[in-house]
Amino acid sequence: MKQHPLCSDCEDKITPMDLPIPAGLKKEWSTCESRRQFLGRTGKVLGWASLATLFGEASFRHLAFASSNSQQAGSASKNLGLPHFAPKAKRAIYLFMSGAPPQVDLFDYKPGLAAQFDKDMPASVRGNQQLTGMTAGQARFPVAPAHWPFNQHGQTGTWISDLLPYTARMVDDLTFIKSTNTDAINHEPAIMLMNTGNMNVGKPCLGAWLAYGLGSMNDNLPTFVVLQTKTNAKENNQPVSSRLWSSGFLSSEFSGVGLRSVGDPVLYLQDPAGVDRDVRRKMLDAVEEINRQTLAEVGDPETNSRIAQYEMAFRMQSSVPELTDLSKEPDSTWELYGQDAKEPGTFAYNCLLARRMAERGVRFTQVYKRGWDVHDNAVGMLPVLCKETDQGAYALITDLKRRGLLDDTLVIWAGEFGRTVYSQGGLSQENYGRDHHPRCFTTWMAGAGVRPGVAYGETDDYSYNVVKDPVHVRDFNATILHCLGIDHNKFTYEFQGLRQKLTSPVEAFVVKGILA
Amino acid sequence: MSFAAKGLHAASDVLRRARLIPRVWIGTAFAGVSIALLPFFSPLDGKPHADFLQFLGRFHPLLVHLPIGLILLLPLLEFLGVKRPAMREAAGFVLQIALATCILTVIFGVLLAYASGEIGTTVTRHMRGGILLAIELSLCLMVRSSLLAAQRSRVYFGLLGVVLITLTWTAHEGGSLTHGSDYLTRYMPSTLRRFIAPSAVASHPNSFFARHIYTVLDTKCVACHGTNKEQGGLQLDSYESLMAGGKDGVVIVPRNPDGSLLLKKVTLPPTDPHFMPAEGRAPLTPDEIARIRAWILAGASPIATSVPGIFIAEDREEAPPPVGDYNAIMGEIRQMQQSQGAKLVPVSANPADGLILRTTDVAGSFDDEQLAKFQDFAPFIVEAELARTAVTDAGVETLSQYKNLRALHLEGTAVSGRTLGKLSSLTQLSYLNLSGTKVTSDALLPLKNMPKLRHLYLFNTPAELTSAAETNARSAQ
Repeated sequence: MKQHPLCSDCEDKITPMDLPIPAGLKKEWSTCESRRQFLGRTGKVLGWASLATLFGEASFRHLAFASSNSQQAGSASKNLGLPHFAPKAKRAIYLFMSGAPPQVDLFDYKPGLAAQFDKDMPASVRGNQQLTGMTAGQARFPVAPAHWPFNQHGQTGTWISDLLPYTARMVDDLTFIKSTNTDAINHEPAIMLMNTGNMNVGKPCLGAWLAYGLGSMNDNLPTFVVLQTKTNAKENNQPVSSRLWSSGFLSSEFSGVGLRSVGDPVLYLQDPAGVDRDVRRKMLDAVEEINRQTLAEVGDPETNSRIAQYEMAFRMQSSVPELTDLSKEPDSTWELYGQDAKEPGTFAYNCLLARRMAERGVRFTQVYKRGWDVHDNAVGMLPVLCKETDQGAYALITDLKRRGLLDDTLVIWAGEFGRTVYSQGGLSQENYGRDHHPRCFTTWMAGAGVRPGVAYGETDDYSYNVVKDPVHVRDFNATILHCLGIDHNKFTYEFQGLRQKLTSPVEAFVVKGILA
Repeated sequence: MSFAAKGLHAASDVLRRARLIPRVWIGTAFAGVSIALLPFFSPLDGKPHADFLQFLGRFHPLLVHLPIGLILLLPLLEFLGVKRPAMREAAGFVLQIALATCILTVIFGVLLAYASGEIGTTVTRHMRGGILLAIELSLCLMVRSSLLAAQRSRVYFGLLGVVLITLTWTAHEGGSLTHGSDYLTRYMPSTLRRFIAPSAVASHPNSFFARHIYTVLDTKCVACHGTNKEQGGLQLDSYESLMAGGKDGVVIVPRNPDGSLLLKKVTLPPTDPHFMPAEGRAPLTPDEIARIRAWILAGASPIATSVPGIFIAEDREEAPPPVGDYNAIMGEIRQMQQSQGAKLVPVSANPADGLILRTTDVAGSFDDEQLAKFQDFAPFIVEAELARTAVTDAGVETLSQYKNLRALHLEGTAVSGRTLGKLSSLTQLSYLNLSGTKVTSDALLPLKNMPKLRHLYLFNTPAELTSAAETNARSAQ
């Protein structure tokens, strides 16, 4: 009879367990349930059950409680020795510009392009790059200079497009990375790569890694919160999904908690009519007990996550209404964020919430703004997109700064890639479109850990290739981890026989040039 | 022949020679006097003169080493001459040549200073030294024969000693002119340097100007544009003289780097005749130029300690002293957390980084009494997050015992500021957040002298309004 590969009774034969296979993989295999293990354990469970009745109920309960406690210590509060070194930033706020903002129109000033209007971009610039299906068939690649003028701002004299009058006011506080580059040319793989360090689904995202590694600063609120901005139907909205804030192979208690942009921030957070706080507590206690029994029996760490999440939800019943109650905000808040911020779901509102969460100890807040995918009608849509986001981002930085929070908060502004300098579709004096461009895009950071007033990296005259100090997505993420006191190479989690990390598999480097 | 007779013979021989030359005597005296009068014929007026004179004058640094070598050789020969008369005879000849080259060098040197229009205290001192040396040498030549003949060589040797001292001093002044006055001390071990008086530094030693602009000017420019030498009437050795400019006008226009002559000159192509630093001295590095540009753009302030966009490694705040290892009391820390709700969180895996007192999730109920219970852990706590807690002025007094505290969050508390003075004992405190409290600007006065307190936040406080009003009043002036 052919032996089951996971059979641990060797019967003089070599089993897979004797092979030179990584210990981690063997460990994982050994936890998988084989038929024999199942039958064996059923017998044990029956034995324990009869023993428990003999000893009496009390002792059994004690036993289950002890085992669940040790389980808990094993997952959430495990001592990982983090942060590796004294961090500059305690928390981070990530403003994610989904759809990819065009660097040529906003930050990457190329004065020489004006003279190149409607001239073909030299083939040598593009090299042998494979374009997207959307423009690969184009007969020519006419250069589309930025439609809006650029001006110098701040004491650093940074060039910023007139599209971003608010960003222009804070250039001295920002750290621009003009040489960010990525491997993917389409939205889904690129946005996965940006968030999880891998184009494929299944890896934990940055926020989940941080929640796992650094833990919570406030037990009453989630460690990692995702805020989605209301979509504008006129914009070309690429989907964002919970894959982007997933905990991947980490325990699901580390995944991002999404606050809804419309209606109640968290559904069913209010107790239903007739159920008061005490009743709710009793119900949760009962559920928890059942869950603990399951945990003691099966030992699945996900049960622990479930228990933790029920408890979190209960605490959020009081903490979230307090978080989203903006009635006590002083007038200066509305002057800064604009009246838009009073409407839930706008970008400015989310920025304000992000500030409130920073105050309340949320470790990582990610604000998604969709709609930057300007394949056509860039001239029509960019002013709308910039107006929606410019003031909110400025207000967030300014607000954090004046409240003394920017000293220990890192703010990140990034999309998943850049956009081409050549026009997609027809180019006219009035309008153009821009296709996806992974070779370079501009991102910025501000606050704890990074040098303000710096522009890092350079692109060529067409804002097409990086010519100095490239920053790959992996380097970008490694740098974010560094600001939070984490050595990205040491921060690993063993899974599938590999020491997985946010920045694997190719070696990543912290961008020293932007560190404070 | 006995040794004494030999010496006597040699001495009489020398004496005979000396008698032969009263004419040399007169000529020497004449040369000395005319050298002394040289500066009156060509006074250093700070204006450039005929190019031809300068062409000749530029051989001064070349010629100068000739008399130096000969003068150094002189005492050696005289000393050896005690035993070997041939050496002594040679010494006389060397002395004559030394005097001749010395006079020539002085003439060329004066020509150089006169024609190039260099003035300054070091230039004057160097010139006077050269002239003095020439006079001393002529004196030596005049008295040498007779003194040696009269067996009074001690006087002559004393005179030679004075010559050597004058030579050293003059040569040093000359070296300061070409290499800069700190050429010798720049890389001197700090233990030695303590004995030397510090060079003139701006009145704000911590300012960006003092640390990063002055140092560049000092190494690259002051050799020619300082009190020693004032090429172009420009002195770059202090903030005031830098801003005053030179004969061509102002060299620094605040907020306008492109209109600032100084920056223009150092960024010209190196082949340009107006490129600075001139005469093949080390040009400014791109880094140094960037610093100067950013500093001018930011207003060219003599006080500002930082300039946006410019970061220099040594500017970073020095690391605070490590705290003790708290691992020994980890058990008590855990116990404390369980009983109080507030947490003591390690800053990092390294215990020397200390602990954070975190009250975020129990903020509403955390008060002075609870804070007092953390007293035992005070030496390990480097950051106290007490925002929106019920901590009051009494709690602030407790906090004055937290000797290693670097950051203190008191935003949104009922702290009135009455007891803030107590915090001045916290020598490591660099961050204090009082936003949203009722603190007034008067309550902050005791914090003025805290050395490390760099980040003070007063958003939404009465103090903020006062300071804003002050700023407005200042800008209105």
